[in-house]
Amino acid sequence: MKTKLKKFWFNYFSFPKYILFHPFDGFDEFKRYKKGKLSVAIIFISLFAFFRIFSYQNEGFLINERNPLMLNSLQEIFSVVLLIALFTIGNWSVTTLMEGKGKFKEIVMMTGYALFPIILIGYPAVILSNFLTLEEMAFYQLLMGLAYVSTAWMLFMGVLNIHHYGLAKTILAFILTVVAMAVMMFFGLLFFDLIQQFIEFVLSIYEELNLRY
Amino acid sequence: MKLFMIFSMLITLPVQLSVVRYNYSYYGEVIHSAPGMNFATYFNGNTAGTTFSSPEDIVVFDDVIYMIDSGNNTLYAIDSDFELISQHVSFPISATYQETLESQGETVFDDLTFNSPYGLEVKENAIYVADSGNFRIVKLNHSYEVIDVFDDIKDATFDEINFEPRKITVDGSERMYVVARNVYEGILELDTNGDFNRFTGVNPVSLNPIEIFQRSIMTEEQLAQLQLYLPTEYTNVVMNDKNFIYATSKPADDNAENIIQLINPKGVDVLKRNGYHPPMGDIQYIEGQNNYVIDGPSSLVDIAYTNDGIFTVLDQKRSRLFTYDSEGNLLYINGDEGAQSDKFSEGVSLAYLNDNLLVLDRKARTVIVYQLTDFGAKVNEAIMYHTNGEFAKAAEIWEEVLVLNTNYEIAYNGIGKYYLREGMFKEALEYFNLGHDRYYYSKAYKAYRNDKLKSNFGYIIGGIVLIAGTVIGFKIRSTYKKGGSILYED
Repeated sequence: MKTKLKKFWFNYFSFPKYILFHPFDGFDEFKRYKKGKLSVAIIFISLFAFFRIFSYQNEGFLINERNPLMLNSLQEIFSVVLLIALFTIGNWSVTTLMEGKGKFKEIVMMTGYALFPIILIGYPAVILSNFLTLEEMAFYQLLMGLAYVSTAWMLFMGVLNIHHYGLAKTILAFILTVVAMAVMMFFGLLFFDLIQQFIEFVLSIYEELNLRY
Repeated sequence: MKLFMIFSMLITLPVQLSVVRYNYSYYGEVIHSAPGMNFATYFNGNTAGTTFSSPEDIVVFDDVIYMIDSGNNTLYAIDSDFELISQHVSFPISATYQETLESQGETVFDDLTFNSPYGLEVKENAIYVADSGNFRIVKLNHSYEVIDVFDDIKDATFDEINFEPRKITVDGSERMYVVARNVYEGILELDTNGDFNRFTGVNPVSLNPIEIFQRSIMTEEQLAQLQLYLPTEYTNVVMNDKNFIYATSKPADDNAENIIQLINPKGVDVLKRNGYHPPMGDIQYIEGQNNYVIDGPSSLVDIAYTNDGIFTVLDQKRSRLFTYDSEGNLLYINGDEGAQSDKFSEGVSLAYLNDNLLVLDRKARTVIVYQLTDFGAKVNEAIMYHTNGEFAKAAEIWEEVLVLNTNYEIAYNGIGKYYLREGMFKEALEYFNLGHDRYYYSKAYKAYRNDKLKSNFGYIIGGIVLIAGTVIGFKIRSTYKKGGSILYED
C-alpha cells in the first residue's frame, strides 16, 4: 500500500514537477528511462477536460460570465479531445518531416504532462475565486495566468527535448504545427460539408423516387 | 364550414389581439416580461376636429400638446383631453420684431408661413420651429407672433450647403441646439440671437489600423471612390431640465452602442451605461441577409424623458419603445408595429404627458397614448424612491414588482441594496446573485467575509496553531525516532 502510494505520488506529482523545473533532465528521463506513462498523460488530459467543466460551473460569481444553463459537458470534453488530437497529430506530422526524434506516443504523453500546472493550480484557484472580492480577483487571474504560462513553457520545452531540437527549430515547429492544425481543420470541415451534401443528395433522390412510384 | 370559421376565429383572435411583451435578461436572452405600458387611447385629425397631413414633431409644454405638420405647414395646439385648442398657418410679425426690422430698413411686414417644418420646441417664453423648407428657424411667442427669425448661420459649413434645420431644442439660457440635414460635425449650438457658437457632441470617427494602411497605399482616385467616413448623424435632440442634451443618432456600421447619448454642456457624452447591456434599443438582431426580415440595430428617432431620469426612446424600424432609467437599466419594452388603432407603423416623435406617453405616427396621422400598467407604475415608483434614497420603501415596491414579474432582474438588485444598507449581508448576497450585480455583490461579500472572519477569529487562529503544532510535533517525533536530536546538530 505504502509503495503504491509512493509510486502514485511520484508519477502524478513529483515527476511532472521535476520536468517542469528541470526540463532537460526531466524529459531525458521521460524519454530514455520510460518514466513518462501514457496512463498519467491520459488522466491529466481528462482532468483538464473536467477542469473546464468544473470552472464553467464553479468559478466565482464575480468573474464567471458564462450562462450556467448553456453548459454542455460533452461539448467541453469533445473540444478538449479535439484540440489535443489536432495538436498531437499536427505536431507529429510536422516533426516527422523535420527530423524530430519523438514518437507519436511520446508527443501525446508530453502534451498530457504539459497540462500538469493547469490541473495543479487551476482547481484550487477556481475554489479560491469563490472567496474573493472584485478587487482581489487580480490574484485569481495571476494564478491562472501563471498556470497557463507554465503549461506553455512545459509544452515548448517538451517539443524541444522530445525531438532533440534547437530553439529556432522548435519555434518553427510550433508555427508549422499551427498551420498543420489549420489545414486539418479545413479538410475536416470540407469533408463534413461534402458528406452532408452527399447525404442530402441521396435523400432527395430517394424522396423523389418515393413520390413518383 | 361556417362553424369551423367561427371556431378558428375564436382561437386566433386572442393571438391577434395579444402581444408578447419581452425584455432582455442578463445573458442577453429574450425573456417574457409584464407590459410596462398599455394602449390607453388615441387621437387624430378626426377626433380633434381638424386634419393632420404629415405630422412631424410633438412637444408637451404645460399640459398642452404642440404639434407641427410638414404637410399642411400648420402648428397645432391640443389640450390634455386631446381637443384642439387652436391651429395656425400664418404668423404675424410682432411689434418688437417689426421695430428691429424697420431699423434694418425693411418696410413690408407680411405674415410668415412655413414650408415643410420638421422640428418644434416650446419653452416658457417662446416657441421655436425648425422651418426646414425655408432654411430658417422661426421663434414665436405664445400668442403665435413671430419674434425672431434665424436664417443666416455664419459658419464655413453653410457656404456649401443650405442650413436645413430638422430638430431643435433650447436650453435654460435660450441657446438653441439644432440638428441640421447633411451636417456631420455634430449638434449646432446657436446663441440667443442666432449667432453660430460651436458644434457640440461630435461623434468621433475611428479607423482601424488595416484601414489606415489601406488608405495610405491608395491613390487619390481610389480614395475619391471610397465611401466617405462620416460621423453618425444625429436624429433628434431633447434638452432635459439640467441643460443636458438627450440625443439619438443613426447607428454607425461598427457602433450601435453609442446611439443614445446624454451630452453635457461641455459636449461630452455622460450617459450612464451601468445596465446589463448598453442602452441601444434591441440588443439581439439579425445582421443583414435578405430583404424579407427587418435587420440591423434599432433606428432611434426620438427620445423623451420623465421624472427621476427615466427616458424612453422610439425605434422607428420595429416600432418599439424602450424605457431606461438614469443608470441605463432597460426597464420595459413597448409598442407594436401594425395598422390597428393601438399600434403604430411609422413613429416619428415621442413625448411624455405627465405619466402618459404620446407616440406620433406619421403614416397613420395619429397620436397613440400609452399609460403605465400596474407593473410599469410600480417600477417607476420604486425608481423614484431609490433616487430619493428611500431604500426601504423602494425594496418594498420592488417586492411587489417581483410578484408581477418574477423575471425582473433589476428588482432583485434594488432589494439587495436595501439589505446591504441594513447590514443583512447574506440576504444581500443572495439578491445580488439573482440580479447579477457584480459591483454590489463584491461589496456585500467583503462585508460578509469580514463579519465571518471577526466572529470566528479565535477558531481560525486556533486551527492554524493546531495544524502548525501538529506538523512540528510530528517532525520532532520522527527526528527523535531516527535517533537525532533537535537540541543540537550532530
